[in-house]
Amino acid sequence: MKRYFAVAVALLLSLPAFSQLERKLANANQEVELTFHAPRHINLLTVEPLEKRGLHFAIMHTFGTVDGGAQNLWGLDNGANIQLSFEYGFSQRFSLGIARQSRDKVYNLYGRYHLLKQTENNNMPLSLSVMGGAGVNTSNYDFLQNEAPNFSERTSYALQLMLARKFSDKFSLQVSPMLAYFVDPRQIYFIEGDQNLYLALGFSGKYKVSKRASLTAQWIPNLNSDLRNNLGVGIDLEAGGHVFQMYFVTSQFLNEQYLLAGGNGVPGEEFRLGFNVNRIFATGRKRAARE
Amino acid sequence: MRSRLSVIIWIFLIGWSSALRAQSFKTESGNVTFLSKAPMNEFTGKSSKLNGLIDLEKNLLDFYVDLNTLKTGIGLRDSHMRDNYLETKKYPFAEFTGKLESIPTMVVGESRPVVAKGVFKIHGVQKEISVKGTIKMLSANELLLDASFPILLGDFKIEIPSVVFYELAEEQLVTIQANLKK
Repeated sequence: MKRYFAVAVALLLSLPAFSQLERKLANANQEVELTFHAPRHINLLTVEPLEKRGLHFAIMHTFGTVDGGAQNLWGLDNGANIQLSFEYGFSQRFSLGIARQSRDKVYNLYGRYHLLKQTENNNMPLSLSVMGGAGVNTSNYDFLQNEAPNFSERTSYALQLMLARKFSDKFSLQVSPMLAYFVDPRQIYFIEGDQNLYLALGFSGKYKVSKRASLTAQWIPNLNSDLRNNLGVGIDLEAGGHVFQMYFVTSQFLNEQYLLAGGNGVPGEEFRLGFNVNRIFATGRKRAARE
Repeated sequence: MRSRLSVIIWIFLIGWSSALRAQSFKTESGNVTFLSKAPMNEFTGKSSKLNGLIDLEKNLLDFYVDLNTLKTGIGLRDSHMRDNYLETKKYPFAEFTGKLESIPTMVVGESRPVVAKGVFKIHGVQKEISVKGTIKMLSANELLLDASFPILLGDFKIEIPSVVFYELAEEQLVTIQANLKK
């Protein structure tokens, strides 16, 4: 009898349950967010995507080397290299940007495509994005007369993969194999290298110390040149829609090609103060709200 | 032996027939809105993934929404909201479980004012609340629920960002609208 009773109970349990609803996530493959605070991290681009119709505006500065001390206000007196950039999200995965660096007056057109996105449940353990860029040096070289570089000789190109993982709420790491190519690496340009092709491995790290602040680091060892490696350490601060990034870095350069070919100072005495302001605007917001 | 088996079948049949008679209505696509009305900045977080159950026979109300589905129209603001304030990785749901103060007699095509009492939970903090709303019986198999209630973020240990460009109000008006079916 007991056995039959058990069967009966089991059958009753198979009836539609009237107790509380089972709590289920709407999307089990939830994508990880905010691997980094912004699409930029010190000088390198990250896997952090823009939303569709999102516009990322960044102002980046680096100043002179700090070894001049208080006399030069730790390098702030020496003219800054400034890069302004606008990047627009055409979809959740694809964005195009334009940047202008004041050193050599380089205009850089670049795009990012996000191939893989890490998920909270680790079905996808990594995020993978690819970046490609083409730049042109628009400085005036008329004084070189016949020797002045033509358009093609002024161009340079960059390609990089960005492989990142948010290991915890606090710690994220990105490894970026990078390539830069200068059609004509002239001495008169603001670069130290004389090769056409530069290969490097970028490392970007973030460690969150509070809800809105993280310690940041970047290290870009060169793989095929004798140039010094790039090292940067800093802090990211979130204030509403802005992300402020302050750092010490060994290079004054702000775009990918010049970061690899431009050369670096000795970490410490030849650190330069750097400062980025990132702002992300939502464009076409009214339409988005109606959807 | 045969009689024992028939007992089981009877229990089963009675169970099933009561299930068919039951006044249990459910949805997985209700709407929920959090309205933040700060002096300088008004915005809403919306989700259409409200899961709900109204059982008029057992007098049970049970609702929850995955806060990851809450959208304000600005992706970055959403990420910051999830990551820094709601902490959805730790506390993914906003939930309400309770009962009606009295069960109204429902007539098709008519709405009835109702008051629900129960526990609201968000950000891992529970609080007893009382919610006013209306239930309209659209058909024998369909209910329309409208309700709204204010919550204070401070009651649920949700920190209000101090230095932000999108000002967040301490009081949030939660509005739900759900079409529940048998």
